[in-house]
Amino acid sequence: MKWVTWEQVGVDRMACAWLITKYIDRDAEFLFVPAGQKTLPEGAEPFDIPGVRLSHHRGHCTFYTMLREYDLRDPVLQRIARVVDEADTVQDVMLEPAAAGLDVICRGIRLVSPDDQVALERGSLIYDALYAQLHVEAPEG
Amino acid sequence: MEKPQEIPWVLLVYKIPREPTSSRATIWRKLKRLGALLLHDAVWVLPATPWTREQFQWLAVEIGELEGEAYLWESHLLLNGQADALMHQFQARADIAYQEILNELEQDDADLIALSRKYQQVRAQDYFHSELGIHVRERLMGARGGFAS
Repeated sequence: MKWVTWEQVGVDRMACAWLITKYIDRDAEFLFVPAGQKTLPEGAEPFDIPGVRLSHHRGHCTFYTMLREYDLRDPVLQRIARVVDEADTVQDVMLEPAAAGLDVICRGIRLVSPDDQVALERGSLIYDALYAQLHVEAPEG
Repeated sequence: MEKPQEIPWVLLVYKIPREPTSSRATIWRKLKRLGALLLHDAVWVLPATPWTREQFQWLAVEIGELEGEAYLWESHLLLNGQADALMHQFQARADIAYQEILNELEQDDADLIALSRKYQQVRAQDYFHSELGIHVRERLMGARGGFAS
């Protein structure tokens, strides 16, 4: 199916696209609209856009919302959600040292990528790597 | 850097129910963590960047979910000198925090780990790149143990 989000993807949307392709929709196709555009393409599921179902809720990032909406309970994914929360949003409790670095790397990936599509593809390696490393460490939840 | 009067600012005005007090405190802490300035107990302001716009946008969403109401603007200051004054307020706040770090670095038992963490926090809110910040960074580098480089 088709998924749509705003242009200039960053840490949260790279994480979401990785999650969608790995766990929700193997044949996912991603579309991008300029930030703030009111009309969205018909038939595409929007994510990480204010006000839609798959977006920030109660101070958590969209990745966190997607785990809840799609009932994904893998503790390693929960841990990644915590990292992305701290990387993408202002948190008053900071527990994940990887968060700040992850944000910088994902912004950098967008800078060296010709478009958002390529940035998502490149970002997926980062999340494969993060998953693998957190899986080796004892999952702290 | 662009001229002060050309700096765009993002403004957030919100209200949130008195109860539960924890919701009010959460939003307040996040605004503090962002390093926003509260003007006249009414308007929270930050220099507009893609990052600050996005952070205020999500905060406005969160305030709505907490049964509150938030308005978010982007604007320029029109009166002569006001943008300068506002910029200086941001710088002065960063300088006070940097000076505290310098003072603590004078102590014999200065906790370098805690002070470097504090430096990172102050740096994240130092939107106009205070020169004192560069000095603090050099002092922290110089205070490292082990071999001089």
